[in-house]
Amino acid sequence: MPNSAPLPNNNRATEQVVVFSVGEYTFAISAAAVQEIRNTDSLGGMVMELECVIVPKVRHVIERESRSYYVVSGFDHFHLPASRPTTILILAKAPAAILVDRIEEMAEMRAIVTLPRSFHGKERAWYRGLTILEGKVVPVVDPKGFLTADELQSLRQIASDQTATREPVHSGGELP
Amino acid sequence: MIAAPIEQVPSFVVAQIGSRRIALQSAGIAELILTPHLHTFPHTTSLIVGVVLRRGRVLPVLDIGLGLLGIPSTAVKFYLVIERHFANIADRYAIPVDGECQLVTGIMFPPADPDGFAIGSLDLAGDVIEVIDLEKIVTHGLNAKPECVGTAEALP
Repeated sequence: MPNSAPLPNNNRATEQVVVFSVGEYTFAISAAAVQEIRNTDSLGGMVMELECVIVPKVRHVIERESRSYYVVSGFDHFHLPASRPTTILILAKAPAAILVDRIEEMAEMRAIVTLPRSFHGKERAWYRGLTILEGKVVPVVDPKGFLTADELQSLRQIASDQTATREPVHSGGELP
Repeated sequence: MIAAPIEQVPSFVVAQIGSRRIALQSAGIAELILTPHLHTFPHTTSLIVGVVLRRGRVLPVLDIGLGLLGIPSTAVKFYLVIERHFANIADRYAIPVDGECQLVTGIMFPPADPDGFAIGSLDLAGDVIEVIDLEKIVTHGLNAKPECVGTAEALP
């Protein structure tokens, strides 16, 4: 079977996605994977700046309802030039919150195709696949792809050490 | 009367890649298409400059100008759709070409540099054109050290 299989054209159930942008690029993420969408200047919970940056794309952690969410810079994650994030996606099933430039829309994804096999870099972890929204090919991000197990373990250790010795930078505020 | 078998003369597609005219064995070429819209998104695989939609399929676009000449293609007019096989699984990709293509037949001579990307050469009325091992360029290019961001600044 060809790897680049035709996009299904049937009546299967659709999947609701949040469409967002980072820099000049557009991405989609399953709406079910997003717990909350907030402006960066009105975060609930406590934002703590990590003193020791061991994962360059993560510089803050949000503590909310006894859970930690590591704030991943979208442009750093996707190796893009620095942009101006205004929105944060707090993920539902991963301890991560993603800084993105803006939310474009909510949309219905009718089909997803696997990334062609020629792609063999980090994008294989970044994306669940590709979809087409209004004639445009859009990568569908994998919520589990923002932080690896090793990165999470290191971040948990750093945050834990820091929490034991310091107070949060601010509470209920905005990301610096 | 029994007809004698006709000897198969190999055919090649001659294409312009940047400043260079090259020939490719026609066997793996599926089609030649006018440049559809190139869709780009971030990735880290070198050689890939984006994807195109073709007959409902998403095809990666591999700029072999980067692998062959070290510079991206600039004046893309067509894409050649290539079929390759990984362990009996067919996979298609597109390569941008800068000018019109020709389908020619001819005898392939051994390459001048057996270690390069050429697997032979054609003599087309005195014009010697290297026949390129596309799979070698693609494999070499895809396995190159990953760079960041698959943008397509040089392509239209």
